[in-house]
Amino acid sequence: MSLSRSSAIPRSALTTMAASRRSVLRGMALSGLAVGGANLLAACGGESGPATGSGATVKFGINEAEGVGAAYDRLKAIADAYAKESGTEVALNAVDHNTFQESINTYLQGTPDDVFTWFAGFRMSQFAENGLITDLSDQWPIDGLGDSFKQAATASDGKQYFVPISYYPWAVFYRKSVFEKNGWAPPETNDDFMALMDDMQGKGVTPFAFGDKDGWPAMGTFDILNMRLNGFDFHMSLMAGDEQWDGDEVKLVFDTWRQLLPYHQEDPLGRTWQEAATAMGKGECGMYLLGTFVVDALGENGEDLDFFTFPELDSSIGSDALDAPIDGFCVSSAGQNVEAGKAMAKWLGSAAAADAGNNAADAPFIAANENASTSTYSDLQKKSAEVVGAAANIAQFMDRDTNADFANTVMIPSIQDFLKNPDDIDGITASIQEQAASIFG
Amino acid sequence: MTTQAVPPTTGPTPSTDAARSTPPRRVEGGVMSKPRGVVVTVIIALLALAWLFPLLWALINSFREYEYTQVNGYLSFGGWTTSNYEEAWSRGNFGLHMRNSLLITIPAVLLTLWLSSMVAFVLARFSYRFNLTLLGVFLAANLLPPQALLIPVFRMFREIPLPLFMSDSGSMLNSFWALILVNTAFQMGFCTFVLSNYMKTLPHEIYESAELDGASVWRQYWQLTMPLVRPALAALATLQVTWVYNEFFWATVLIQQGNKLPVTSALNNLRGQFFTDTNLVAAGSIIVALPVLVVFFALQKQFVSGLTLGSTKG
Repeated sequence: MSLSRSSAIPRSALTTMAASRRSVLRGMALSGLAVGGANLLAACGGESGPATGSGATVKFGINEAEGVGAAYDRLKAIADAYAKESGTEVALNAVDHNTFQESINTYLQGTPDDVFTWFAGFRMSQFAENGLITDLSDQWPIDGLGDSFKQAATASDGKQYFVPISYYPWAVFYRKSVFEKNGWAPPETNDDFMALMDDMQGKGVTPFAFGDKDGWPAMGTFDILNMRLNGFDFHMSLMAGDEQWDGDEVKLVFDTWRQLLPYHQEDPLGRTWQEAATAMGKGECGMYLLGTFVVDALGENGEDLDFFTFPELDSSIGSDALDAPIDGFCVSSAGQNVEAGKAMAKWLGSAAAADAGNNAADAPFIAANENASTSTYSDLQKKSAEVVGAAANIAQFMDRDTNADFANTVMIPSIQDFLKNPDDIDGITASIQEQAASIFG
Repeated sequence: MTTQAVPPTTGPTPSTDAARSTPPRRVEGGVMSKPRGVVVTVIIALLALAWLFPLLWALINSFREYEYTQVNGYLSFGGWTTSNYEEAWSRGNFGLHMRNSLLITIPAVLLTLWLSSMVAFVLARFSYRFNLTLLGVFLAANLLPPQALLIPVFRMFREIPLPLFMSDSGSMLNSFWALILVNTAFQMGFCTFVLSNYMKTLPHEIYESAELDGASVWRQYWQLTMPLVRPALAALATLQVTWVYNEFFWATVLIQQGNKLPVTSALNNLRGQFFTDTNLVAAGSIIVALPVLVVFFALQKQFVSGLTLGSTKG
């Protein structure tokens, strides 16, 4: 046994060795590949060096991915214009909107860019409180940005941390042709409004398109009802967690909403806002309360669209408040070049920045700077600027005005519960209050 | 060579061999009456359809225009186009992101297999007192959800500086190194478990004779064990490529630079701020899924055998 085996060993060992020489070679080739890969990694990692020569480098993080269209083109053009004008090199970091927003916390605590796109309101203020963004009060005032924008750029400590560039209003959109054909007109008073909705129903048209599968669109309805019924100041302090969610005021909002629901499309939880917009576009519904981005879903330039602000519900409160979310820029505290970032942020608020953006894209935004050129604006945009300019108070939309956790984990499911079961207002408001108390403390 | 070496492996495991050739098993699994066969076929076909339906639905709608489906609903028929694919490719910038995925997946898989095969070799071939404990620790780490480690890993990587030629962010964050390491760490537990079980089925006699011939431990590992576990390595490589390629969580957490995201995260590029063209996203998803499908079909045999790897212990 041992003999036969010992005689067999050389042969098997030989074959093993021959074969394993091959596999060793292969192994070496593979590890070579790994090393080569590593070199490649290094090569694509380290191409941009620190600032040298005349201009420093500013890292500019934007929340639009390359190639998405107008939104990216605008920001790119703005970055290019700044690079040209200031001689500073602008390194663009383009991440898609939703990823950017969802990972903003890790972004700011990790290796953030110097300047980045962000929103006005509570969301900005929260970062200011945590020291994640830089105080920009030494860059303010910025020529052409009025008091309301300065207010929107101010955090709870009274300093500015934000530079606005554009905004868009939430309003009631309708098809001009549909209104004309039926002889309808935008309502001025609450009575007009109710009469209009009754007339629409009589003609077999659902007055309001409505979809809340995405969770956030119905927040717009809550916002506007709260501002119309309880006033802007109450709305803002409710958003800040300083009012009772189970008080009579909020119950009144939900109760009014419940009465208006028969005028809305049924089963909103199964419908995205895009589908609701299509229903309005096709004339199945008369109106749609949404932001100006409603045109995106219709696949047209919006020539047949018009809008009006939500009419007053309580004459003692009026209708001079609306949601008009402001987009703009912040400078991160952990950036590598904070001073250059601040300088760029100031320029981003200028009319030149807005013009550079608007000239580059066929769908211009509504510039925050009052000196910006409006020559490329469509009718919708001109009217948006007008309506927002006339508004006495501007809110930012619920998910920007309040704690993000509260908006997403409490308000979205609560509003959806309400839409499922509109009669349980007491239960829903009590549950919101309970959760609000634990979040706002 | 492998086939030559395999026969001895059946040596110490006669039980499985015997089980395979026992008559009752064969009868049980092989014959089925005709009507029962038909019923089973129909049920299986229906189940397969139910599973395939969402995929086929996405495939069909990826070839349709958004305007058409939005006006006529998804139950309509028409609006055919291939432009979704062209647009998805250019808008999603998939060329760049596929390259990123490649640069992450290949090193991560190679590193995982290499390291875990070494651990597995030691665990399978040498008996220390803590052998079982060590294997248990590797497995336990496998059970830990990655979400629970998000913050520690993030903070740790933020504090680890890298020279600029390795990462332009100057730290582990925003570098491929981070993703390669994280993926390797999280996949090692499973690979070690599978490989060590597989290596335990290799006959002890081979190692005894190798020892007699004076083969060092390294040589026993590299020249003796590695060729013998090649089937297991191939199967694991297939699985690992699929898993690491599909990894989404760590990439979104550790990478904040748009041009470094792997392809799974880049799929988000097709969503707008408000508006999402679902047909376009469907086309993008198909493109992203293709490499995995190719790997799966090309290496199907290893894949299937990989699912049961280590489930029967010799």
